Amino acid sequence: MKAPILVPVVLRNLFKRPATNRFPQMEPVPIPEDFRGMISYNVDKCVGCRMCVNVCPAGVFVYLPEIRKVALWTARCIYCGQCVDVCPTGALQLSRDFLLASYDNKSDRFIPLEPEKVEEIKRKLEEQKKVKEAAKKEKEGKNV
Amino acid sequence: MDVVSNVVYPVAGLLGLYAFVSLASLVWEGIDRKLVARMQRRIGPPILQPVYDFLKLASKETIIPNTASYMFKAAPVLALATVIALLVYTPMGFTPILASKGDVIVFIYLLTLISFFKILGAISSGNPYAKIGAAREATIMVSREPAMMLAIFTIMWRIGKLGVDKPFSMGTFYQHNIWEIGTPMSFVGAVILLYVFAVWLASEIEVGFFNIPDAEEEIAEGLLVEYSGRYLALLKLTHSMKAFISASLVVAIFFPWGISGYFGLTGISANVGDLLFHTLKVFILLFVVQSVFRAVTGRLKITQAVDFLWKNVFLASLVGSLLIAMEVIM
Repeated sequence: MKAPILVPVVLRNLFKRPATNRFPQMEPVPIPEDFRGMISYNVDKCVGCRMCVNVCPAGVFVYLPEIRKVALWTARCIYCGQCVDVCPTGALQLSRDFLLASYDNKSDRFIPLEPEKVEEIKRKLEEQKKVKEAAKKEKEGKNV
Repeated sequence: MDVVSNVVYPVAGLLGLYAFVSLASLVWEGIDRKLVARMQRRIGPPILQPVYDFLKLASKETIIPNTASYMFKAAPVLALATVIALLVYTPMGFTPILASKGDVIVFIYLLTLISFFKILGAISSGNPYAKIGAAREATIMVSREPAMMLAIFTIMWRIGKLGVDKPFSMGTFYQHNIWEIGTPMSFVGAVILLYVFAVWLASEIEVGFFNIPDAEEEIAEGLLVEYSGRYLALLKLTHSMKAFISASLVVAIFFPWGISGYFGLTGISANVGDLLFHTLKVFILLFVVQSVFRAVTGRLKITQAVDFLWKNVFLASLVGSLLIAMEVIM
């Protein structure tokens, strides 16, 4: 019979302050130092080594061979941090962002590398190729 | 004049009481939730949360199961109608509107009929969970009422010995009360009966030990499993009004003192003042019997609850009744 023991406890609790965090009005509970939040992806650092594709258990990454980068869809992420540990260049980092509710799981916040950006990178690569080829041709022309 | 005094005034009083009690009972429900939350170091919902719940449920889509019969729709309406009819016999700080000789039978009958309609609605839904809940409700209903009936009949009979104009009426508590008898034996008996009534009240509004028929965690809401929308709103309102009425009975028996005499009020204003003071007393009683009891106890099994009600509460009721009757008998 716990009831008689509990009566003074609940009556004392009546006059104490509630031990809760009123989230929308207050800051959320502070997160620890090594908190694993949303993945942030730095496209410029990525060298396309495909380590993250191999190690990811949730299938977040898709390798894009023509530009040698990865496309991400972080709505699938399980926040295990293995891609961050394995990335040799530090292109993948875990941010401290955890308020990720959204009406649309295809929204931009879950796709760090947008298709438009992929196209842009492709165009840049093409231009670089063209420049290289023109230089080659010039060389060949000079040689001839 | 006859029509006015016999029809118009009672109906107006009933409508006013209905408006007041439905609001007060919903507000109490909110205060109760707030208090239990504070007892558990939580903030809790706003005080008017049950009112918002009621409005939300009333505006939602009502789903009728394919297996339901017509009683499924009729039961919540009949239950609420029973509660409203019960208001004219409930002592609320003043003599009930339709108080007459022997209406305690009507009071007990209508109070039990509410549970009966709840059971009918549940077994008409065709859901096995609801049938289990209904069986438990019926079991606990027949176990809890005898103790209360014995106690209330004894008290009314004893008060009748002191000389009242309408014996066995719900209004007699405001002419004489149980503490006036004044002998030590009757005092002890009255204290024992107060315990009986407190447990009966807890089992009547199904809190703490006796939260068995609805049992949210065990049998998926039990009786109310198939109810939704408007019918659920009616049943929730019925439940909170029933809590207020049951507590009103206990307050009228044991703490019937009004305040209008001290302020020299008369007529309608006296009734209103007494009603407000009575509401305060009901809230204090429900705080002890509902909020604290709910916060510190868990649910019993149905067999344990039946055992408790028969072997403990009914026996206490017997002893208390005998102690009160003793001086008259000897």
